[in-house]
Amino acid sequence: MTTSTNTIEHKVIHDVSPTRKLAIGISEVLIALLIFVVFALNVSGELTTRFVMTPGGINQGTMPDIVMPSQLTLFSLAGIVLAIGIFQLVKGFGKQTNLMVGIAGLFLMLAFLVWQAAGTSVNLAGMLSSAVLLAVPITLGAFSGILAERCGIVNISIEGMMLMASMTATIAGSLSKNIWVGLLGGIASSVLLALILGVLSIKFKVNQTISGTVINIFSAGMTGFISQKFLQMIPHLNQPTMFPRVPLPLLADIPLIGPILFNQNIFVYLMFIILIVLQVALFQTRWGLRFRSVGEHPKAADTLGIDVIKTRYIGVILSGVVAGIGGAFFTLGSVGRFDEGMTAGKGFIGLAAMIFGNWMPLGSLGAGLLFGFADSIGSKLSLLRSVIPPQFMAMAPYLITMIVLAGFIGKGQAPAAEGEPYEKE
Amino acid sequence: MRKKLVLIVSLLLVASIALAACQTTTPPVGEQPPAEDGIKVCQITDTGGIDDKSFNATAWKGIQDAVELHGVEGKFLESEEVADYEKFLNAFLEEDCDLIVTVGFLIGDATKAAAEANPDAKYSIVDYNYDPAIANVVGQIFDTDEAGALAGYLAAGVTKTGIVGTFGGLPIPTVTIFMDGFVKGVELYNQAKGTEVKVLGWDVETQTGLFSNSFDDQQKGNELAKSLMDEGADIIMPVAGPVGLGAAAAIKERGNAYLIGVDSDWALTSPDYADIILTSVMKLMDATTLQVIESVIDGTFVGGDVIGTLANGGVAIAPYHELESLVPAELTAEIEQLKADIISGAVSLD
Repeated sequence: MTTSTNTIEHKVIHDVSPTRKLAIGISEVLIALLIFVVFALNVSGELTTRFVMTPGGINQGTMPDIVMPSQLTLFSLAGIVLAIGIFQLVKGFGKQTNLMVGIAGLFLMLAFLVWQAAGTSVNLAGMLSSAVLLAVPITLGAFSGILAERCGIVNISIEGMMLMASMTATIAGSLSKNIWVGLLGGIASSVLLALILGVLSIKFKVNQTISGTVINIFSAGMTGFISQKFLQMIPHLNQPTMFPRVPLPLLADIPLIGPILFNQNIFVYLMFIILIVLQVALFQTRWGLRFRSVGEHPKAADTLGIDVIKTRYIGVILSGVVAGIGGAFFTLGSVGRFDEGMTAGKGFIGLAAMIFGNWMPLGSLGAGLLFGFADSIGSKLSLLRSVIPPQFMAMAPYLITMIVLAGFIGKGQAPAAEGEPYEKE
Repeated sequence: MRKKLVLIVSLLLVASIALAACQTTTPPVGEQPPAEDGIKVCQITDTGGIDDKSFNATAWKGIQDAVELHGVEGKFLESEEVADYEKFLNAFLEEDCDLIVTVGFLIGDATKAAAEANPDAKYSIVDYNYDPAIANVVGQIFDTDEAGALAGYLAAGVTKTGIVGTFGGLPIPTVTIFMDGFVKGVELYNQAKGTEVKVLGWDVETQTGLFSNSFDDQQKGNELAKSLMDEGADIIMPVAGPVGLGAAAAIKERGNAYLIGVDSDWALTSPDYADIILTSVMKLMDATTLQVIESVIDGTFVGGDVIGTLANGGVAIAPYHELESLVPAELTAEIEQLKADIISGAVSLD
């Protein structure tokens, strides 16, 4: 039953309905017109846009700046997007439709930057490098969500776990003067909360949204209390060393890519390692198949001799480990001290990234990077004195999420049994 | 089974509530001899928290000064979210506080509503005022642009790249007035020296610029500082409360830029960053808060405004501390002169 529905829905994703084909084609033509009329025609011919291709503070993998004539570039970008749109309307790209939408969107952002930075310069590499760092907690939050939801547990307490982990990591790191102890401490505290979530939702079959909310409230209260009572009064509890930037040999020397991906701190590398491990373990191994079966149809899994309860506990604990790493990033990888509420909702945005990424690790990374990119392009636009209000840029990622969730890109598929406690008969 | 579950959930909830309660009703550290005349001063913070090392903390210091000097009783409640303001205002009203001090622009409407509904209670709001004034509210406001201009002049004199930067938390008047002053200061320097120092992150004409859109998200502050440094800024003034500490981490990591703190002297409140803090644009709201408390004690409390300026010491720039060697004696003298000129009105910031 489940399998047959799945195959049908898969078809829906790939076969582009005539309405969608038309709608996407028209959107692409409109994007082309926007680039042409609003951007290109508002730039005088002799201006150039300079893209700096090395992030500041880095001397490996440097690359000369790219200087391009603004108007000419905009005309070409508009032309390419127009061609894509017309082809979409006339013939359609079939399976490549979403890719082409992505490319058109990318060109729109590029055109926007070229337009805004006409006559001046913008550090493109720095922007991308920031986007990667901004994506780290969001993506790790999404991975944490995937681990719980793929085996049937809805984990909305990722935010609370991250907050608790970021504080514990600071305290453990400051007391031991060892950054790794800090990271492990953060993970341990988050796993402890995950265990509570597990016991509540697996053993006691509490509504998982409620048990998650309880943990979020508890974390916010607990970290606030400890922060005010101890961290602010005793400053040496709140001075962990931070993970330094570690350039990877050879890779860091690749122009553009090196500084952005391979000259970051360990959290960025951990994000990619977890991505690979998760993608392989969940979709290429027998363990992964069993794990996912528990999230899709626990009764069938149980019939086949899979221990549903144990599998769900493992899932929740692994979810806690990943959330712990994400939480430690805030204090040990970004700021170097704890302050109340510093996770600023990234755990929830991580869940949005998970849904956006269709419960797939690679897709979630893509979503996390998109959110990070929208965030960093927002600050660059403000610096360029853009006419776009900064508040609008700040809400852009969420608008995109809503558009995606509304079915523009295709329907997402949540694990069938998520949120349902398993009752053995 | 069911009972056990109910027990666990209720325990967790009780624990959270108890913790939340602990954190909000904590009396200040140290002895609390109840004052003879029993004057009770109660502060409601905004969502930044009492230890934001910024205006909540500074206002609280004013109350603590009053505790020490006049033996009043001090209390505070910390707002976690906007919905707390009204709740806490009512809670303090029931506690018969003699003066309720609220902090920040965001709590302005709630304070106004409470003051108008309870004409006998006395209120003072830090960093906000009302036009027309309310009879039982003293607004404490600050001409921060005066001190901001001194910081801008200093930054323009110290920068090596010829580019300085700033960003704010939210585009609200109490934040942007810092940025206005900062830009004015840079312009004054450019006029005096014929230089072309650029300011990134704020445009006085259009009143638009760079914002973190949050007073909590320190990672965002980190990113904004990197973004500014990527575009060449080597002195950055973050006007965003604790978010500025994220900027400090980024600046320290790069190691080739400096930071200008806001609200309080950051070289003292964040000593681990003292080696990158050039100066701070301070609002001395402890002084103004104490002034209001004293007016309650001696019975001269009248609604209206108390304005902190360079002239009355309500705003100032902090000493250069560890970075004094960066500031040539000549520049120090020019800044002193500018300060005198602003006080005398010879230099107008409008």
